[in-house]
Amino acid sequence: MHIPDGYLSPATCAVGYVAATPLWVVASRRVTRVVKSRNIPLLAIFSALSFIIMMFNVPIPDGTTAHAVGGVVIAIVLGPWAAVIAVSIALLFQALLFGDGGVLSFGVNAINMAVILPFVGYAVYRIAAGGAALTSRRRVVAGAVGGYVGINAAALAAAIELGLQPVLFKSASGVPLYVPYDLGKTIPAMLLPHLTVAGLCEAILTAAVLSYLQRADVQRLVPNHPGIPITAGDAAPRPSRLSPGKVALAVGIVLVILTPLGLLAPGGAFGEDAPGDLDLGALGLRAVPAGLEKYNGFWSHTLLGGYGFQSGDHANLAYILSAIVGIAVVMAVVFALGKVAQLLSAASGQEQIEAEPHA
Amino acid sequence: MRDATAPPETPAWLLRQPVALCPCGCIGKRQKASYLERTLTGGSDLMHQVMFSEDVARLPGVLQRLDPRVKLVGTMLLLVAVGLAHHITTLLAAYALVLGLAWWSRVALAFFIRRVWLFIPIFTAIVVLPAAFSVVNDGDVIVHLWTWNGEPEGLTSQGLFSAALIIMRVAVSVSLAVLLTITTPWGRLLNGLRGLGVPRLIVLTINMSYRYIFLLLEAVGDMYESRKSRQVRAVKHDAAARATVGASIGTLVGKCGHLAEEVHQAMVARGYRGEVHALDATKMAAIDRAAALTSVVLAAAILSGDRLLGG
Repeated sequence: MHIPDGYLSPATCAVGYVAATPLWVVASRRVTRVVKSRNIPLLAIFSALSFIIMMFNVPIPDGTTAHAVGGVVIAIVLGPWAAVIAVSIALLFQALLFGDGGVLSFGVNAINMAVILPFVGYAVYRIAAGGAALTSRRRVVAGAVGGYVGINAAALAAAIELGLQPVLFKSASGVPLYVPYDLGKTIPAMLLPHLTVAGLCEAILTAAVLSYLQRADVQRLVPNHPGIPITAGDAAPRPSRLSPGKVALAVGIVLVILTPLGLLAPGGAFGEDAPGDLDLGALGLRAVPAGLEKYNGFWSHTLLGGYGFQSGDHANLAYILSAIVGIAVVMAVVFALGKVAQLLSAASGQEQIEAEPHA
Repeated sequence: MRDATAPPETPAWLLRQPVALCPCGCIGKRQKASYLERTLTGGSDLMHQVMFSEDVARLPGVLQRLDPRVKLVGTMLLLVAVGLAHHITTLLAAYALVLGLAWWSRVALAFFIRRVWLFIPIFTAIVVLPAAFSVVNDGDVIVHLWTWNGEPEGLTSQGLFSAALIIMRVAVSVSLAVLLTITTPWGRLLNGLRGLGVPRLIVLTINMSYRYIFLLLEAVGDMYESRKSRQVRAVKHDAAARATVGASIGTLVGKCGHLAEEVHQAMVARGYRGEVHALDATKMAAIDRAAALTSVVLAAAILSGDRLLGG
């Protein structure tokens, strides 16, 4: 999954650095706030651990090798922000010591393996584990699922970045300048080995380490699991800490990952561009339905009609801008709905408290 | 003075290989090492690589004399220029330039070419060559291999050009990164990062992490060896083996936690209060300013040369 220099355009690499830099800043601030002056040795030693885990390669049938990253394990033990720093430093070593993963593409690799992998894996782990006790079997399964989903999400992100190259960067004669495979080829090529071998490596590693820590060193898990009982017989489960902001951010991240997939879809769904595009025979129709004919184009006062500017210039830029505007709007709606739900839940909780003395 | 082309001064014990037995089996059979075992022995390769890099970085070559900040910025500039190049001719010229720089810096060229080409560009070739076939990407077939439904199929001119372009670009990019790392001692490289505005906290973390890689590698090796010394039969790759690997990494996680605590206490005992102090970066000499200007000129030359070729 390490993308070397030369596979991606410098513009894509620049986007990688621009996206990764604020995350590195936030990560170092968050970690420093939590562990104070212990941060340097802690992060240094866990970065070395991540590097060691990445050294253990398993061969896969297409002639390359796969390895676990350990990002989800570190996220479970120290939190996802610490995993961002630890895996980023391990990737830096690989780029400089082995030439594995590039210098220009370091930002993109960090986004995939040091950000998407631990955050997605950790989120899945949190959701799957719920409020289960630290020593419960459910946590081991949740860790395995988190590891599996996390590494596959990172592989999907890498596949999208690689697959966008021939779409966005071609010579005047139409020859791809960077990776010559489009999304239809990079996604299966990346996901197949990760869904089978690498995903299993990460899942087995995460589950085995969690299982060992449960048996031998459960206190190691306590700092990053506040309010979670060690055994099933301990304290009551804690209330949900999901906030509208977090939910909106999660939705935004999922949409950012999924948006480029729209480039894969051939044609239009249900005649979305024009009713004439409908394959009437396949749908068992004789003519375009009257309602569709009548209301098609009913609303034409759009800002970015057909995901492009009115002038038709800068199609790629307009497509990306449409995606950003769309994601921002969806995030705002999710945030607003979350706020309303939070207010309603707070109001009903207040009513319950007021009603209780009379009960 | 030591000859620049002489073998690296790496201790022999690092390079020692397992005893080779006769392949016919007359003096016993050699068992193929597991991937785990090979990775652990690969640890010595890593140390060899790192130590050899330090050997090269100490040679009195031209790149070794330069300020690390200039080398970092210059390398980035050249990487961007190479990334933006659209012609194989430009990339070949850039590769010749990198080889010239390596030779001028007293890097053994045979080692340098082998180190660069042996892995990533060959791996890239395996990955991108299928794109040259007309069944994968459409194009003008220039090497006719078979016919499908009356249509000639084979290698396309567009596919071959695209594959050659990416292989060359990867080779030049990897060469630039390798040249930077083998002509700069690790400590100076980190100084360069700090000089370019990377926070001291991050630089110190990277520096400490670098040291602990070798300690942890040794700990993994010790764990594996102690298990191996206690077993009678060959290792089976079953659930027990997976549990052992998991437990080993789990133990390592515990060790890392303890080690981090101990190192922190040692740092606090020596006056560390959460703020990192370091010596200021060295001042740039005339040769560094000249090198910075040269790298800008070279990057501009690569880009303008590429534009002159058209397309």
